[in-house]
Amino acid sequence: MNGRQESALLIVGHGSTVNPGSSAPTLSHATEIRRRNIFADVQCAFWKEEPSLRDAIFLFDPGTIKNVYVVPNFISEGYFTQTVIPRELELNGRITKRANGQTWNYGEPVGNHPLMTELLVQRAREIAPDVPENQTSLLIVAHGTDLNENSAVAAKREAQRIRRLGRYANVLNVYMEEFPLVSDWRVLTNTPNVVVVPFFISDGLHSYEDIPVMLGIIDGGSTSSAEAKCEEVFRRGPYKIDDRSLFYASSIGTDARVADIIVEQAAAGETNGSRN
Amino acid sequence: MPLEKTLAAVLSDKSRFGQIFIQRTGSGGFVLCHHDDANSRGLEIFKKPEDALRIARSDDAGKYRPLKTAPNLRRGWRLEVVDLGELRRALDCFYPGRLAMLAAWTDNRLSTTPLRETLDRQSGMYRIAAKISDQQIDDVVGNFCKSGGGCLRTILWKRDTHGAIPSTSLPPKKFDPGHDQTGRGQNAIPLLCQEPCNLLVVECRKVVKGEIDE
Repeated sequence: MNGRQESALLIVGHGSTVNPGSSAPTLSHATEIRRRNIFADVQCAFWKEEPSLRDAIFLFDPGTIKNVYVVPNFISEGYFTQTVIPRELELNGRITKRANGQTWNYGEPVGNHPLMTELLVQRAREIAPDVPENQTSLLIVAHGTDLNENSAVAAKREAQRIRRLGRYANVLNVYMEEFPLVSDWRVLTNTPNVVVVPFFISDGLHSYEDIPVMLGIIDGGSTSSAEAKCEEVFRRGPYKIDDRSLFYASSIGTDARVADIIVEQAAAGETNGSRN
Repeated sequence: MPLEKTLAAVLSDKSRFGQIFIQRTGSGGFVLCHHDDANSRGLEIFKKPEDALRIARSDDAGKYRPLKTAPNLRRGWRLEVVDLGELRRALDCFYPGRLAMLAAWTDNRLSTTPLRETLDRQSGMYRIAAKISDQQIDDVVGNFCKSGGGCLRTILWKRDTHGAIPSTSLPPKKFDPGHDQTGRGQNAIPLLCQEPCNLLVVECRKVVKGEIDE
């Protein structure tokens, strides 16, 4: 990576106008990376929150920051990484030279990094540390059929990679809105233990309510606050259903080790020409 | 560290940033509180710049604040930071990006984007927002961006490339960086708005789709 004193990191997240949990992991990873003192400056920008992607163009003083590394904190390539972010940041490929002398390097989304596979396995192990893996099914849950996002493909890829490790009795990619459905977990698996890890960037309605309802571990219609629901659903496990144990993790993007992936993606953004 | 320099320069004669009152301590640190709490006692004490994220997240009623420059910062807190660097980080959490816009504006490198250009750039579900009429823009900007109950930013952008003002219902001082948008008449650091935000684009879309009255 180019000189630290002249380099800045911009982490781009989706954000939300209704759910503060949406941007929380991105902000948290930024704080951690800032603490490591790898970059002269570390900033976030969001599609739905502040600072906006348009603000981000002016976040770094060209007098001191010569290189900006942009890392989309997204689970997969898709509409946002391929259309919205380049358009709003006025990027014209992997490397953009601006009139102000800055060079902006556009990295791949965090979900694409090979470390994500390791992280999913670690998260599954941490949520169910004492269960024999050969008697356990691991379910990687993505949204599926969601605009132009390729989260379903990414989840399938991750499930394949974990399956190849040969540790779990069964590894499945399941979805909220396409087959195989997460709600069919009882028939899709036959092991005494089932570990479910949402393949999302942050905890939101999908991870603390929609998927738990589909799994049958909570009832829908609760009027509790989002924070209360979140705390409750991830704290209460394992869930005993039909003589089986179901372990439910929070979204993979909330894992503190995603900060490592963001740094890796920034470095890769400089050397990997795959995105042009 | 140019942002800190910009901040230090404006703090020489200003102590208000949006709804925040900034006081210097004798040891080079700063104490921040809601401007209505300058003389309040029993405030909850915070010590880390990132605590500002939590303070700024919800209003007094506990409702999430999607627009951090809305005039609904909650009261009852006091944030103590040790130096200018921490102050910058705290203010970045309270009003994300606004210090950088100020620095760019001060350096004469902040360019503005008209609302029509922002709307024309949209794709997907927001593409329809570009169909909004000038009159509808006048109404929606006048309501959504007004300092009283809407947003405390100073608008620098125009309605279109012809330079039309965004809304005739907003007073001229809404476009004046020298004016305190909180209405207190203080010598305040401006929260500059160089381009319509995504929330305003959402509002324009709603108007076009007939989901809200203009």
